[in-house]
Amino acid sequence: MSFLDSIAAGLSVVANFEAFLALFAGIIIGVIGGAIPGMSATMAVALTLPFTFSLTPITGILLLLGVYKGGIFGGSIPAILIKTPGTPASSATILDGYPLAEKGEAGRALGMALWASCTADLISNLALILFAGWLASFALNFGPPEFFALILFSLTIIAGVSGESLLRGGLSAILGLLLATIGLDLVYGTNRFTFGNPNMMGGLNFIAVLIGLFAIPEIIAMAWNPTAHIGKTRKLGAKWVTLKDYFASFKSIVRGSLIGVFMGSIPGIGAAPSAFLSYSEARRKSPNKEKFGTGEIEGVAASEAGNNGVAGATLIPLLALGVPGDVITAIILGAFMIHGLQPGPMMFVLNVDIIYGLFIGLIVSSVFLFFIGSVAIRGFKYVADVPKRILMPAVLVLCVFGVFAVNNNLFDVAVMFAMGWVGYAMMRHRIPPAPFLIAFILGPLLEDNFRQSMLMSGSDFAVLFRGPITWFFWTAAIVTVIAISRSAFASRRKIVAAVQEEQRNG
Amino acid sequence: MTSKSLQLRLGVTACVFALFLVVFAIPQFVSAPSNVGKIILSPLFWPYTIAGLTCLIGLLLILGWWRTVEDGVVLEEPSENRPAAIARLFGLAVIMIAMVWLLPVLGMVWTCMLAFVASAVLVQTRHPKIALICAVLVPLALYVFFAHVAGVAIPQGEFVRLP
Repeated sequence: MSFLDSIAAGLSVVANFEAFLALFAGIIIGVIGGAIPGMSATMAVALTLPFTFSLTPITGILLLLGVYKGGIFGGSIPAILIKTPGTPASSATILDGYPLAEKGEAGRALGMALWASCTADLISNLALILFAGWLASFALNFGPPEFFALILFSLTIIAGVSGESLLRGGLSAILGLLLATIGLDLVYGTNRFTFGNPNMMGGLNFIAVLIGLFAIPEIIAMAWNPTAHIGKTRKLGAKWVTLKDYFASFKSIVRGSLIGVFMGSIPGIGAAPSAFLSYSEARRKSPNKEKFGTGEIEGVAASEAGNNGVAGATLIPLLALGVPGDVITAIILGAFMIHGLQPGPMMFVLNVDIIYGLFIGLIVSSVFLFFIGSVAIRGFKYVADVPKRILMPAVLVLCVFGVFAVNNNLFDVAVMFAMGWVGYAMMRHRIPPAPFLIAFILGPLLEDNFRQSMLMSGSDFAVLFRGPITWFFWTAAIVTVIAISRSAFASRRKIVAAVQEEQRNG
Repeated sequence: MTSKSLQLRLGVTACVFALFLVVFAIPQFVSAPSNVGKIILSPLFWPYTIAGLTCLIGLLLILGWWRTVEDGVVLEEPSENRPAAIARLFGLAVIMIAMVWLLPVLGMVWTCMLAFVASAVLVQTRHPKIALICAVLVPLALYVFFAHVAGVAIPQGEFVRLP
């Protein structure tokens, strides 16, 4: 099928009012979800997921992608106005965004955040269109040993970069792998941790685990401290972003976008490290580097380009290899599965219309984001004023309806509540939930490919190292583990030195 | 709880949990056919591997605790009144258990309305009237969407049935 044929096939599924309306609505939901501190883009995507069940696959997935894109931008609004990032990805935006707000230039900072976000989003989407198909055609050569090595590599990265502590991230991933073993054995069909309950034979429901881990702990945290969210909202100010500002920061925006594309295409890195790297590169190259951190508009542009550049690129490993690039794409992977689609190289052969439909939708999403974002900046006051102590009970009710709707099963609601308390315990003990969820998704794939490899080789481990592709992923996994360990040791040495210094100073 | 004591607490818990898996949970709750030729292909292999990795991470956390210098920074989440906070957590747990128990009896809509009111009271909302209106409207709106648009059979309960 030629490129034009693929585009035509994509248009045939996406060129309808319903699909674009879903995308539009998704971006609005995402911007609002991202703009409410404590809600986060991840929770917004998770809560929207049950609403896609009644939609066609392409419409449902476009709705979720809209929430994803909108959520990443929406997170910058409270980051700039109230120094509270709506999503972790917006943490770097605070560095210059909040000082600009303090100077009375919040509108200018938000405008630049929007323009940089849309530019980076467009570049990221183009990268996705260019590279995903190429990577998928390459991945058609993968067999079980190659997929095993790839998933292992993905797990090493995810466990390593998802929190302040490598070991706590690893513990979280191991717990996710353990939870994924619940159900019938993949080869022999015997029971594993089902406790004689037929509801557990198919394994725990992904949506129940997901919503339990990401939404319910926020409600429990609200019960622990109901007034933790109360903060002050700032005015936008009269000064607005200009084309001169935009072109002065254009180099940093493009550089940040490319950093985002590179980091987003590696599973597990996520948007926050990309935003910080983009910010530090912009500062390093800028003639005004001493102004960074005090309200430099280029700093806002760089960090927003860095985090939005990731949004399209995280879909490259998802669509081409079936491996989620971050936690939100892990949820979107679940949505694909619920709609009977399996992302990966075969999807580029069997569902090329859906793939190209998504590409078209993503390009349009950058335009929608621009218009919706412009309105959202002015309307933030109303979003910020939603009383959290009414919002959270509403989220609780939404979770119950959404989780029940997946399988029409009340057992899933109980699983969600149980996972909510597990998630809260993890939150209190600084254990990141993202590796847990990603390992929960990748766990069965890892085990399945491992056992298939063993079956095809007569239990010979050499099959796991059978060719250049497996060597590449093994090497990448080992290099990643070494790099993560070195960085962990280096930060530990810094902490030890700082504490010793403090003790010396009395 | 400081960063150092957290390391120890997690490390010990992980080791104890791994021991529990190896000694009790896996032999008790994972069944494997007796004629599996190679351990690698057995349904037991993966759970035992995970238990081993849990123990390894637990030991590394304990090692980390042993080598970490105490920085004295307390990680506990702040709460003005700790006993009241614990009571609210307990109250929320009761609400959740009651929801699971009441869902098949009262139906999803009525149970969610009650849960909304109870949780809004629990978090001491400053807008009780809005909370009450939302408690009625939110479950009804979700019912309309899921039952009439998405075609999901929302549990109706044994008393009042909705159209």
